[in-house]
Amino acid sequence: MNSYDDMNSMEQDVIREVGSIGTGNAASALSGLLGTEVRMMLPTVSVLDFNDAMNAIGNPETIVAAVLVGMKGDVSGIMLFILKMDLINDILGILLGNHIEQYEQLSEMDVSALNEVGNIMISSYVNALSTLAGVDIGLSVPEIAVNMLGGIMSVPMAELGYQTDKLMMIRGKFVLQGDTLDSDLLMLPDIDSLNYLMKKLVQSNG
Amino acid sequence: MKVARREGLLITYALGSCIGITLYDPAIKLGGLLHIMLPSAENAKMDNVYKFADTGITEMLRKMQAFGGVKSRYICKIAGGAKMFEMQGNLGNIGQRNIENVQNMMRREQIRIVRQDVGANYARTMSLDVADGVVKVRSFGHPEITL
Repeated sequence: MNSYDDMNSMEQDVIREVGSIGTGNAASALSGLLGTEVRMMLPTVSVLDFNDAMNAIGNPETIVAAVLVGMKGDVSGIMLFILKMDLINDILGILLGNHIEQYEQLSEMDVSALNEVGNIMISSYVNALSTLAGVDIGLSVPEIAVNMLGGIMSVPMAELGYQTDKLMMIRGKFVLQGDTLDSDLLMLPDIDSLNYLMKKLVQSNG
Repeated sequence: MKVARREGLLITYALGSCIGITLYDPAIKLGGLLHIMLPSAENAKMDNVYKFADTGITEMLRKMQAFGGVKSRYICKIAGGAKMFEMQGNLGNIGQRNIENVQNMMRREQIRIVRQDVGANYARTMSLDVADGVVKVRSFGHPEITL
């Protein structure tokens, strides 16, 4: 395929399945860290132009914390863990006994705890995916930013911007102790990687 | 890219590594706001010329001229080009490359950038009030500024 729009529904199902194994593992990792039940909803796969992709996640000026990890190797692209206030407080409450009302109150310690949680979740996601598809994926050092959602989403958009005017998002939502949270774990592969992944998965499934 | 005359607020939200460019012709109260994402179109086969600094600025100038704008009167201000994450390599410095390319383009077009709020590590929302040419920039954790 030359663009994300060329994906047929069977291919979208394959990708959703990959995403679901990734998010399932990320949820287990979070559950282990927090010592509480965490589930992920079945991920959604969507191909959206940049503005729609951003608006799907939230208002561009909304402040969020985001952990970003670059993927290189057989699959390249970006993993982005977007934490909104609800999940931030769940994590900080359990790990550090902290609670914040505003993003300005995040201490350096809070931010580095969130970064580490994001790192563990993203690594679990990508490890599950590499095992399933038999691919090698190298991960960059995780980086965290607390800022406007639009500015954060512009990073994958710019990274993939020479290939495409659209983003393909594999988007997982969390359910923590029965509550669905407004936070997202996104996988944003580039088009070549998607082709490669598809080839590997369809082969290995016979 | 948005253009308005006499009245209206042009606004672009949460510029990260992207750059917002405003051009204002005070004589006829004509304002334009362009939001670019990448430094140059290179060989990209994309329809969206406004995504790139080079093709975007060229098209913006063409459009503003069509609305009666005169280049020698333009007041140019830019904001954005942040480095949202502390990353290595190309991805990390896209904001910086955007800034440089916008500045180069404007130099080539002989348009002086009067004010700018660029770089650093935070996103910016930029607005231009076409009635008076006032450009404002707001961001998280910093007071709103008038450029």
